Amino acid sequence: MECYSLKQSDVPALIDHLGAYGEVIAPHRKGDVSYSFEPVKDSEKVVLEYNRTLLPLKKCFLPPTEKLMDFSLKDMSYKPTEVPIKPAVYFGIHSYEMQSILRLDHSMLSGKAESNYFNRRKKSRFIGVSFSPDEYHFSESVGISIEEMEGFDLYLNKVSDDYQLYIISDKGKDLLKGFDKLIQAEPIHVEGREFNKKIRYHYNRLPRVFQYAYHSKVWAEVAERCVGCGSCNLTCPTCFCFDVNDQVEVTAEDGMRRRSWDSCMLSTFAEVAGGENFREHTLNRTRHRLYRKFKYITDEEGLPWCVGCGRCTAFCPADISMVDIINDLIREDEKAQFHKTVRV
Amino acid sequence: MKRLQEVKSNEALDLYYPTMCEIVDAKQLTDLEKWYELKLPGGQDLGHEPGQFVEVSAFGIGEAPISISSSPSKEGSFELCIRQVGTLTKVLKRYEKGDTLGIRGPFGKGYPIEKMYGKDILIVAGGIGLVPLRSLINFVLDNRQEFGRLIILYGAKNPSELLFTDELDVWQRRDDVELHVTVDQGDPSWEGNTGVITTLIPELDLNLNKTIAAITGPPIMYKFVVMSLKSKQLPDSHIYLSLERRMKCGVGKCGHCQINGVYCCQEGPVFNYVDIKPLEEAL
Repeated sequence: MECYSLKQSDVPALIDHLGAYGEVIAPHRKGDVSYSFEPVKDSEKVVLEYNRTLLPLKKCFLPPTEKLMDFSLKDMSYKPTEVPIKPAVYFGIHSYEMQSILRLDHSMLSGKAESNYFNRRKKSRFIGVSFSPDEYHFSESVGISIEEMEGFDLYLNKVSDDYQLYIISDKGKDLLKGFDKLIQAEPIHVEGREFNKKIRYHYNRLPRVFQYAYHSKVWAEVAERCVGCGSCNLTCPTCFCFDVNDQVEVTAEDGMRRRSWDSCMLSTFAEVAGGENFREHTLNRTRHRLYRKFKYITDEEGLPWCVGCGRCTAFCPADISMVDIINDLIREDEKAQFHKTVRV
Repeated sequence: MKRLQEVKSNEALDLYYPTMCEIVDAKQLTDLEKWYELKLPGGQDLGHEPGQFVEVSAFGIGEAPISISSSPSKEGSFELCIRQVGTLTKVLKRYEKGDTLGIRGPFGKGYPIEKMYGKDILIVAGGIGLVPLRSLINFVLDNRQEFGRLIILYGAKNPSELLFTDELDVWQRRDDVELHVTVDQGDPSWEGNTGVITTLIPELDLNLNKTIAAITGPPIMYKFVVMSLKSKQLPDSHIYLSLERRMKCGVGKCGHCQINGVYCCQEGPVFNYVDIKPLEEAL
């Protein structure tokens, strides 16, 4: 793998250079404590040392709300919304975020591939950056290291005050053509970036834990504290469920159909006309969310569908922690195993 | 895992755009249910299987998943029968002959017709469960020599809620259909069976190896019907059920219809009982 050194002070020049390919989207400070992926207007404003953005990068490929069509009530006709295929560079992306996009690819493109998502994704390029885990990151526990480079075209590894830039793909190499601030370098392994939050088991043991956890008392304990706000779904980089709604103009002649992110933690998510609700209690919904991340899709695809970004925990108003739930399930499972052994 | 690179540009589909269909006939069947006959542009066939559904779209209100009620053997148009209980369906009450509705689909898996040829077909329909099963019943009747006995059990809350009464009369008169109708509560003019639908099952004389059951009804009904059929020793694999869920997109994306890890709109709505037995959220 080609490796170059890049001075911190040359990063804005790199961002400006990448702008020749297409719009550059990168992390920016938002308020005092928050970060957000935004289009770059001034490359000096891009923040490469951040813990996490509030909304995940999925917002660029599956927008929080998007118009599917304009319709006319006068003649019951409609005009589809075209999603253009535009080149774009996503700069300063953490490894877990990249992994979430690869998982979203599967969710939106397997079975019937969706054109809206495909068009937004088609000409996207990704430039990764290393990060220092805070008290919420746990991606190593789901198999994603800080330096996981799968999916990236280029990767920036912070080495003391400057960066090492790795060329991962041919597309990444093309992006750098004409950029002259790079000096060939030997890759340096960076020590000391440790994850503080950990799931006690290797992730390949979790499907077995979940196999027997369906009736665990842990779900009721979590449900008691959960306020059912759905923030965990909205900040999750791999959640992709949505709702579709029509909006009519005041004239009552025209309107539009829009789809928006939805949340399986909201009480009406599995309700049908007539009032029957197939996941009526918070307990049912909490369990469903966790099974979606660690069992249902995982059984099919062999990977946890959680990428360990820590958002659901960091932004939970009730201090509910994904890792703590799983460690509680593991503890309950161990207790059950122990009792079985003792009885024999 | 599906990768972006594996998807060719022509494989990425516009999944959410309806085809506008003209209502060629409509009739209010009961206080709550209305029947519609729709025509696709150019009179093309919908190409569905009995048990599949479509997404019905009325601009300004939204979409809802609705079972197809006509047999695939009916050409040139298809039929829906809609209970007015939700936001969209209540508005649909106003839709009449000449109006247009958006249609996406057909979606999901219907009844496995190939496995049903030569078999005795036992229909168990509760309430509006008759709507999707009517598609199967009429398919069997249109291909009558391909199937064994056709036994229809149909239960409604009361006589005024019975659907497709004209067709019930026809089925009653045919000697190649065994129709048993019951109502939970009769009225003074009611001369038929009274009692829940499971009361019709014990006296059935079934050829167990040859019988395939198709059940559709309100969620509460399934456990009791399955229990009754099991006590008749009907093998689990001979039982098919159609489950109701909130199938919002119909294409396996939006997540609303999941039964545990299974997308009802993709692997259902018609399931073999063996496949849903391990799913805690199914029944």
